[in-house]
Amino acid sequence: MNQMWPQFPQADQPLVLSADELRARITAMFNEMWREDREDEPPVLEDETVLLETGFDSMAFAVLVARLDDELGFDPFTMVEEPVYPQTFAEFVTFYAQCAPKPE
Amino acid sequence: MRTQAGINGLASGVLALDLPDDHVLIRAPGKVLRVADLRLLVSLGVVLAGAGVALGMADPFDMVRALLALDGRVGALMLLSPDLPEQARRALMRDAGISTLIGDQPDIEGAVLLDQVLGEREGVWPPPVDTRWLLTTSGTTGTPKLVIHERASIFRAVKAERAENRDHRWAMLYDPSRFAGTQVLAQALLTGATLLAPRPGMTTGEIIEWLCDEKCTHISATPSLWRRLLMAPGAMRLPLRQVTLGGEIADDAILAALKGRYPQARITHIYASTEAGTGFVVRDGRAGFPAGWLERGVEVDGARLSMRDGVLWLRPPGDAHATASHITRDAEGYIRTGDRIAIEDGRVRFLGREDTTLNVGGVKVQAEAVEEIVHAHPAVAQCRITGKPSAMMGTLLTLSVVPRAEVAVDAAMLRQDIAQYCKAHLPPAARPATIRIVAEIPVSIAGKTERAG
Repeated sequence: MNQMWPQFPQADQPLVLSADELRARITAMFNEMWREDREDEPPVLEDETVLLETGFDSMAFAVLVARLDDELGFDPFTMVEEPVYPQTFAEFVTFYAQCAPKPE
Repeated sequence: MRTQAGINGLASGVLALDLPDDHVLIRAPGKVLRVADLRLLVSLGVVLAGAGVALGMADPFDMVRALLALDGRVGALMLLSPDLPEQARRALMRDAGISTLIGDQPDIEGAVLLDQVLGEREGVWPPPVDTRWLLTTSGTTGTPKLVIHERASIFRAVKAERAENRDHRWAMLYDPSRFAGTQVLAQALLTGATLLAPRPGMTTGEIIEWLCDEKCTHISATPSLWRRLLMAPGAMRLPLRQVTLGGEIADDAILAALKGRYPQARITHIYASTEAGTGFVVRDGRAGFPAGWLERGVEVDGARLSMRDGVLWLRPPGDAHATASHITRDAEGYIRTGDRIAIEDGRVRFLGREDTTLNVGGVKVQAEAVEEIVHAHPAVAQCRITGKPSAMMGTLLTLSVVPRAEVAVDAAMLRQDIAQYCKAHLPPAARPATIRIVAEIPVSIAGKTERAG
């Protein structure tokens, strides 16, 4: 039934990505979510961009993390014992890179 | 129920209808049980150790045959779902003090076949027994719990036999081990209708095709199962006269879809509570039920209803009732159903189970309420909301959608369209964080949407 439907890409296995690739994926997802909600252009995410000053609230970031989990196959925030609160975009990307699956 | 010489229970109720010997009681692909077969079945003695017996058949035909053979002749019948893990099955049997398991699959350890507990023809029958039926809750959450039913609570809702019932052909789409399944089999068998039991493992398409060939006239199924049935190409050919929904919330969208598809059929939805062992029927074709039914002193199908803390409480008719340790009952005999309700424009609407409430950043979101709204999207055939752990929000919602077969659009575009739709119709906490377009949504053996992550 419904074989004509391609499965929306979902990571069955965690992807192995470089820090730069991770950064690009996160930026792309951020921009996609931004455009779903707003007419104006998304802000350019720089290393020192403070996350909560981008216009995304904590709910939006939670959704961003959930969607990245679907795409990348991991959610670093649920992988660590101590809660982590990245403040800048660079910290956010670094946190993802630290928790990302490493090549065999 | 009239009692035949020496036998009592379901079989005697059927035989009391004086149906012709060749009348078909149960039909399955390649199998049939006629009145003459039933006479033979109940003429055999029952050789059993212990007070009761557990039935764990995969094939509904075998299960119903066993119920006909044993009801009224053993102290207790435990009806087990075939998908029950062995450990849970053992625990339930141990709790009930039952050691005999009758199955139909050779791979179930320690199980015997029905024919192994039926002995020689007996000249003298032991006195009939008021068999207790031991059912389990559908277990959408956690381990299934045992619910003991007096016979009266199982057979109370069965409507009297009328001559035209003999042409009725009821589809057995519920597992017979479920309360809803017992209602279908009791209604069909005790009114002289024929029960149509698909073989396990048949696809939805194969079931529909078979039911069309067998001229099925009556179907009782959950809204989830109905949505699935409506997606099968042959479904519109079913010559249905009765469409019954139960087990889950029947929303306006599914009621309207069924009315459109089967204009000649009567459409009713049943509210049934395993906890209360009873329920009531809504016949006006609208979602929910009239608010007047909650008033003191009003009886609905013999039951009394009340709303407390936003939850439906139900007092079963008479003194026949189910008992189980997890049931909350007040001094007046009202039982907490666990179903959350709200009154809106003189109508009581079901919001969902207490245990399907998700906490999104401190906001309580009812999974079924979101599903109901998403179902109204024109491209959505089936959908399911599940919780996804979120470090920031506690839980976020994941929406899985099966698109309508006839709607051909790009999956990514559909995802976006549904996201926009959710934004327009749902408060922020109730909007799904992620949307998945999937080929199918698992439906549990009870016919309900699976919610396990």
